Amino acid sequence: MSVDTAVETKTVFGAEVPQPPQHGAAGGVMRGLNFGTGLIGGIGLAAVAGWVTAILTPSSASNASFAPMEPTYVYLAVLLGWVVGFMLGMGAFVGPLRWVVGRDITHADAEYMAGKDLGRKRYWKYTTDHKVVGIQYLVVTLFILGFAGLLAMLIRTELGMTWTSLFTPSFYNSMIGTHGIAMIIGMIVVISGPLGNFIVPMMIGARDMAYPRLNALSVWLLVAAVPMLVSSMFMGGIQDGWSVYQPLASQAPVGMLGYQMTIIIFAISTAIASVNLMTTILTMRAKGMTWSRTPIFVYGIFAASVMGLYAFPFFQYAQILGLTDRVFSTSFFDPLNGGSVWLYENLFWLLGHPEVYVILIPSMAVALELMPVFLRKPLFSFNFAVAGIVGVVALSGLVWAHHMYMTGWAPAANYPFMLSTEMISIPVGFLVLVAIGTFWRGTAWTRLPLMAVYAVIFNKMIGGVTGVYLSDVPADQYFHGSMFVVAHFHFMLMGAGLFGAMAGIAFFFPKMTGRILDERVGSIGLWTAFIGFQITFISMFVAGLQGQPRRVLDFDDQFNLSNWISTIGAYIIGIGMLIFLSAIITSWRSGVIASSNPWGSKSLEWQTETPVPLENFPVLPVVTERPYNYGVPDPYEAELESIDEDLTEKAGTK
Amino acid sequence: MSADTLIPEEPEAPTNRPPSMERVRSWLQRPYARKILILTVVIGFLLLPLAWLLLAAMNQTGAPASEIMKDIEQTVFVFTLVSIPITAFVFAVLVYSLIGWRQISGDEPPMQDSPAIRTNTIGVILWTVASSLLAMFLVVWGLVELAQITANSYGSISADEQPGQKSSEIINVTGQQWVWTFEYPEHNGLTSDILYLPLDRPVYFNVTSKDVIHNFWAVELGVKIDANPGAITQTGVTANKLGTFNVRCAELCGMHHAFMQTQIQVLEQDAFDSWVRESGGKKTS
Repeated sequence: MSVDTAVETKTVFGAEVPQPPQHGAAGGVMRGLNFGTGLIGGIGLAAVAGWVTAILTPSSASNASFAPMEPTYVYLAVLLGWVVGFMLGMGAFVGPLRWVVGRDITHADAEYMAGKDLGRKRYWKYTTDHKVVGIQYLVVTLFILGFAGLLAMLIRTELGMTWTSLFTPSFYNSMIGTHGIAMIIGMIVVISGPLGNFIVPMMIGARDMAYPRLNALSVWLLVAAVPMLVSSMFMGGIQDGWSVYQPLASQAPVGMLGYQMTIIIFAISTAIASVNLMTTILTMRAKGMTWSRTPIFVYGIFAASVMGLYAFPFFQYAQILGLTDRVFSTSFFDPLNGGSVWLYENLFWLLGHPEVYVILIPSMAVALELMPVFLRKPLFSFNFAVAGIVGVVALSGLVWAHHMYMTGWAPAANYPFMLSTEMISIPVGFLVLVAIGTFWRGTAWTRLPLMAVYAVIFNKMIGGVTGVYLSDVPADQYFHGSMFVVAHFHFMLMGAGLFGAMAGIAFFFPKMTGRILDERVGSIGLWTAFIGFQITFISMFVAGLQGQPRRVLDFDDQFNLSNWISTIGAYIIGIGMLIFLSAIITSWRSGVIASSNPWGSKSLEWQTETPVPLENFPVLPVVTERPYNYGVPDPYEAELESIDEDLTEKAGTK
Repeated sequence: MSADTLIPEEPEAPTNRPPSMERVRSWLQRPYARKILILTVVIGFLLLPLAWLLLAAMNQTGAPASEIMKDIEQTVFVFTLVSIPITAFVFAVLVYSLIGWRQISGDEPPMQDSPAIRTNTIGVILWTVASSLLAMFLVVWGLVELAQITANSYGSISADEQPGQKSSEIINVTGQQWVWTFEYPEHNGLTSDILYLPLDRPVYFNVTSKDVIHNFWAVELGVKIDANPGAITQTGVTANKLGTFNVRCAELCGMHHAFMQTQIQVLEQDAFDSWVRESGGKKTS
């Protein structure tokens, strides 16, 4: 047999271009893998792992309080088996496995993995194309948010029906915890996931993300985490709030393992996604896109990635330690055996507070990104917007203990933490100034995305001002742990965060789906939800002021009125959100076909055709001007100059 | 020859910039400027009642019943007043943007662009200075009030110097799922599940928990501190109002967290003494 030494060539623009050698043949098992095989692999391995563990565990195994350990071991084995089996079935390990056997993913395989010529099938596969990943993120996030929203409706129903009890206390507590953590996960992902993956590479003029296969890994890890979270509801649930403070969490039924495993997997997914986004933004911006020519949304996603990258490990460690406490009877957080409950609280809030900005900064950034397009004027004081984002990131890691003012953990530390917390209102204020300045004298094109921005700024002001009370230790001494806190962070995370995400989704919808989001239905949904939101959470503020603690199933009669109103408002939100969701679904299926640039934006992502081809740009763009170059010379400035001249003349004639 | 003469005199900077007052006046003559200012004032006055409404909601069950609660309410009141102007201004711009400046609807992007205001040095400086001053004020106010509250709750007294003199009262507060127990070590270890407090006398709480984290919240007294297992946290208060108030648990502590509440009875000294006599020595388990 003779070895073929001729180098393969390919004709590109009429020239023979030598192609790099390919190691191994294209194709193989990989091409048969998809979501279905992932499910089969996950469920299969979970069943096997659970079965083997059940056999291996001696039935006498019990923990210090004589509770049998078998369910714990089996559930943990099932969860681990699910993750590994699902990722295996999805084909997540194809690349590494080929390296092990000395082969590589060939060019044809890489194109196949990017979803070339696969049509709709590519959405069900381990696809590396950032646009497919973006859509996958969007669907998963909508599912998570819908699930958590449903729990919110049930919680409000229980609280509104003051004359009777619908749920058992443990199920109610489990709903609260699951609602909280599911909403937090959904909100962290809702902008950085769909829009960060779909839009950012196009916005910076890149062909894809820096690490396309890691991109697919991050989204499918998130998908793998969802059933673990949902399953915990059937295993006794997360009865300890989303913060699962120790040692309460160690009393919880085995469902707590679902929470801990969800967080561990989600933290890995977040770390991968953060590194990917940061590398992409740092290294793959188009020629000429200097930092002052980089759109503000890119800054926002970058900031969120930075914060996610340093904050999530704390949370992950905390849950790993909690998991070993539970499974191996260690005592990291067991105060009776030398552990510390305050250690857990610190680790938790070292994530907990930066995470708030991981949600808020992308939402503000997407609002600032779309405002210039609809107001047809440049972003006001771009440098201030950047300074605001940088300031928030810089301070985000220094404020966590304001959640612990009342723990007695370090009374003397309350002074510096109050200082740093109140300082953060200055960079956040910069972002509000930029929004106000961009509204200033702009001709508003009152389409749905811009209208949502009005809602965002309104809610952000209320959330920000009420946050000032909570940042202050004396006032927090009354408000801590009350419904006031709940109302405040819903104004921030939902009022600013979720409405910002709605603005962003409505804005980028034509690029992502090729169709326009139904303006009328979408607006009805948005404003219904907005009105319901105000009713719900303003009356929740009142309940908090009256002294109702949070996370309660039942309360004194004096809180009845505010809770009834709050529940009515919650149903209105639910209706509004369903209408908005129906607008998304119907427009996606049969909306008006969008042109490639329906908003007349000057940004790069709108300059490609819709639907966006694989690798986005036929020729990589070169950026030659600052973003948001809208606008005409200011007539008032001309007038001012004429005043200047008049006065100079007068001075001259004197 | 001195060095001075070698350097030609700098010509004075051209003074073709009009006086600042003239520029302010011309700015105010723009059609939108005054309207936004007026709108700010109107919205500000509409928001003003909030300062009292917040306190009214807080006072529904008889607060303030201590100096601490009075400090808390004062802080809430002042913070509301301070944040009204900036909120009103932002809302005014939002409202004016919707009703004042021009609007376009329709499917096609507007043909006409708005004025290209890239920045405005005076506006940016004003905003930065104003927001920094506000933040400074909040911080200073907070630090002063915190020091005051710490003094009022005797938090500045270290644990081994807890005063044992007659005029004060020590109460050991223990949280467990899902009841509060109040122990009076100075009265023969008397225990109660209702918190009895003498009027106008300082009380010191040593707070701890038997199982999970609870939070001891004496609502109308403005006292709040976590009850941690394996640690004792300290706080204190002087109740200055007679009546029945509430203790609630403000930290999720398991199934019956919502029902982990009890009463506070603030009694005159005589009534307090007779309660101690009547139940003295007897322990409620």
